[in-house]
Amino acid sequence: MRSLVSKSLRATLLTLTLVLVVVAATPITSLRAQTPGEISIVCENETAPGVYDTTVTLTTQDGYISIPDGNTVYMWGYAYEGGAFQHPGPTLCFNEGDVVDITLSNTTPLYGYTPTGPVAEAVSIVFPGQTGVEVDTGAGFVPAQPQFSGLTLTSLVQPAAAGGSATYHFTASQAGTFIYESGTNPQKQVHMGLFGAIIVRPSDGPTFIYNWPFTQFNPANDYMILLSEIDPDLHWAVEQGLDYNITLYHPRYWLINGRSFPDTIAPNDAEWLPTQPYGALLHIEPFNAGNNAQPSAVRFLNVGMRNHPMHPHGDHIQVVGRDGRPLLGPANENLSYAEFGPVIGAGQTKDTLYDWAAVQLTTPVPPDVFEAFSQFLLRPRDQNIMWGEWFSGSPYLGQTTDRPTGVTAQGECGEYYHIWHSHALHEAANYEAGFGGMITLERIDPPGGCP
Amino acid sequence: MTQQSSPRRFTRRDFLKFGGGALAAAAGAYLVPRAVTATAGALRASQASALSAAVAPSLDQRYHLMVTDGWIHLPRPAVDTTFHPDPWSPDLDTFNTYTFGFRNVGDLTDQKMRDQKGKVQLSSPILYAKEGGELRITLTNLGFATRPDLTDGHTVHFHGFPNAVPAFDGVPELSVGVPYGRSYTYFYRPKDPGTYKYHCHFEDIEHVSFGMTGLVFILPAESNNQAYNDPSTAFDRQFALLLGEVWTQERWEGAHIQEHDWSDYDPDYWTINGRVYPDTLAPNGEGNDPGTGDLIAPAGRDDLQYQPISSLITCNSGDKVLLRFSNLGFQRQAMRVDGLSLRVIGKDAKFLGAQAYDTDTVDISAGETFDVLFEAPLVASQTTYLLYNRKLAYLNNGGELGHGGQMTEIRVSPSGVPAQGEPNT
Repeated sequence: MRSLVSKSLRATLLTLTLVLVVVAATPITSLRAQTPGEISIVCENETAPGVYDTTVTLTTQDGYISIPDGNTVYMWGYAYEGGAFQHPGPTLCFNEGDVVDITLSNTTPLYGYTPTGPVAEAVSIVFPGQTGVEVDTGAGFVPAQPQFSGLTLTSLVQPAAAGGSATYHFTASQAGTFIYESGTNPQKQVHMGLFGAIIVRPSDGPTFIYNWPFTQFNPANDYMILLSEIDPDLHWAVEQGLDYNITLYHPRYWLINGRSFPDTIAPNDAEWLPTQPYGALLHIEPFNAGNNAQPSAVRFLNVGMRNHPMHPHGDHIQVVGRDGRPLLGPANENLSYAEFGPVIGAGQTKDTLYDWAAVQLTTPVPPDVFEAFSQFLLRPRDQNIMWGEWFSGSPYLGQTTDRPTGVTAQGECGEYYHIWHSHALHEAANYEAGFGGMITLERIDPPGGCP
Repeated sequence: MTQQSSPRRFTRRDFLKFGGGALAAAAGAYLVPRAVTATAGALRASQASALSAAVAPSLDQRYHLMVTDGWIHLPRPAVDTTFHPDPWSPDLDTFNTYTFGFRNVGDLTDQKMRDQKGKVQLSSPILYAKEGGELRITLTNLGFATRPDLTDGHTVHFHGFPNAVPAFDGVPELSVGVPYGRSYTYFYRPKDPGTYKYHCHFEDIEHVSFGMTGLVFILPAESNNQAYNDPSTAFDRQFALLLGEVWTQERWEGAHIQEHDWSDYDPDYWTINGRVYPDTLAPNGEGNDPGTGDLIAPAGRDDLQYQPISSLITCNSGDKVLLRFSNLGFQRQAMRVDGLSLRVIGKDAKFLGAQAYDTDTVDISAGETFDVLFEAPLVASQTTYLLYNRKLAYLNNGGELGHGGQMTEIRVSPSGVPAQGEPNT
């Protein structure tokens, strides 16, 4: 039994891989193909700047992702418009007020364990934060409702049966950042990778997160930090067609945008991560009232089952929205706040602004400190120096110092790098190996960028 | 700890130690950089305490911290486990848990500092700086006494400090680490007042969970007796409450030259300022002994020599008391007080202003800080209020029944508690 299922999955995968190669060679009607290497959020359904396709088809797919410790993990996923497996699901963007139709085509059988053998599972999508969602599974649109068989709950919402499809319909009436995820066997299917992000641009325009002035940002710096966890035992059991007891849930990998550090800082669509298209590197320049006055938007989402206490080095973040709603008081007071320990709860989103605002606070360095610093770097023997790969060798932005022999250089022109990571530090690891997992970096270029 | 342990340690480990000692001697000449020696006199004058330095920091605040390893005390369970007390520890009943940490050595000579190798404190000394001033922290890495084979670097990460440049942010991959036998000076210009923390970021999972954690208070320009530049944040007394966790298996693995699997992280002791209840109530240590350079143990508690920070909260009726909560464990905790109303006035070194709120429980995750005020009620005789973690399973010491873990007491007297000199007194 076990080997049969495994063989059938592998055969499917092989076929998919062939399809993938063909699809990848064909231009898709999306902007992202024109901007390779970009690192901001990619809206898969963007057809022209700020124009989003509101009729979207997602298909079920399965495949594998890479973990930096050398492991690969079997996943399920939503794929965009007949495309190949990707993890996480495609990021979809809409404009406030858009009438959205998302059709889920459950074409790739995702086999679940049953005592009598593997059965292709129904799959669905729930849209937390959206209201008035309707579903059409072939008999016309009806309100999205939990599904029961007798008294037994079978799905949080009407699913697409194996081999079938379902169309979800709603008006994107609220700006902000939202999760979409499976509502069918969610404890397994969501964990297996059936989730993604939805971003709704406000009617005030794409330079705002919400329709409030305090949520203005620089749309060139629009970042997503989507947190998830992997219990490799669960994935192995699903891959092998075995049962799994979810009460034994024990995540050992910790991901941002479907990647673990250091893969998180690779660019979007990095060719060595073919199924993990979304990078998480933040890339900004210092605040400047004249020509760089607007902060970055950093949108946190947590599709895992644990809370994640994130810690941005560099500066506080300003939290302006939560779960797709701006932080406003009863009289529309601005209730946004700054923190260096943003906790992202399970299923929660937090919309935040971030700036590198005041480099002059620590520069110029007093002469005695700079002297001590220079002496420290000038030790005669290389083993007396512990020099980070991303370190420029200078306290000053845009300046560098010759590094010791044998130290890899990741920097370009003396830019700064800061770490953003989970402060539940065992999550900043790939299984037992530290400096991995739920970590990304922030890159601060000198004004004007590196030459 | 000059006393060494049982003869079974005397094999490969002592051989390694011999090599480590030779290295230390060779490196000794480089230990103290010029920037520190030039100001050593000023440092000694102001930094006699294991707890902290002066509560009124100058605008030119300087610290000299050293890092090494050592042994601390955690109550012994009724039935010893594989990992606790550590059979290789100097004494199963007293110094029975392996640890890494910082020491404040600004008042010690270079030689006396080096004699302190193998003697750290948990939690680390409280540091102070003044808004608008300057802060220099010189870090000296003395290496490890119990693990001379380890050549770990160390750093200071000033957690939450805005706009730190990578050179002074202490993430070794993005900056520099401080190798064994060397010193490095971190520099900051503190701006926003509030409660911050510092910790080592070198192999951060291990070094933070091993106890290389402490607090930094940035005092507002307006007053040293306010949390922020707002009169509503004035206080009569202040107490630092740094939460932590000890996974004794990890400590054992560290001492016994074993690797850790971080995905199995599973602590079994929960600490406030590096101690568990009822040790949290014991008095403060008394700083570095000017003769030996070693820490002076709290009165009557020789076993807490390397855990000098008390968490006992004493005050008079009507006092405004500031609790500076911070969590550098990996778990989320829920610190509750029965019988008092807590006003949360700051989070992550930001004044909450109109968003301040009242509660009886402060939920606090890894990496967060909260500034909390309460007004001591009018009492006719000394009255005790418990401050404890509502995660009740963490109120034990190594699985023992009874009360332990992250708990302390707030004792309110009608009057007579002397004015506070340092925090946590």
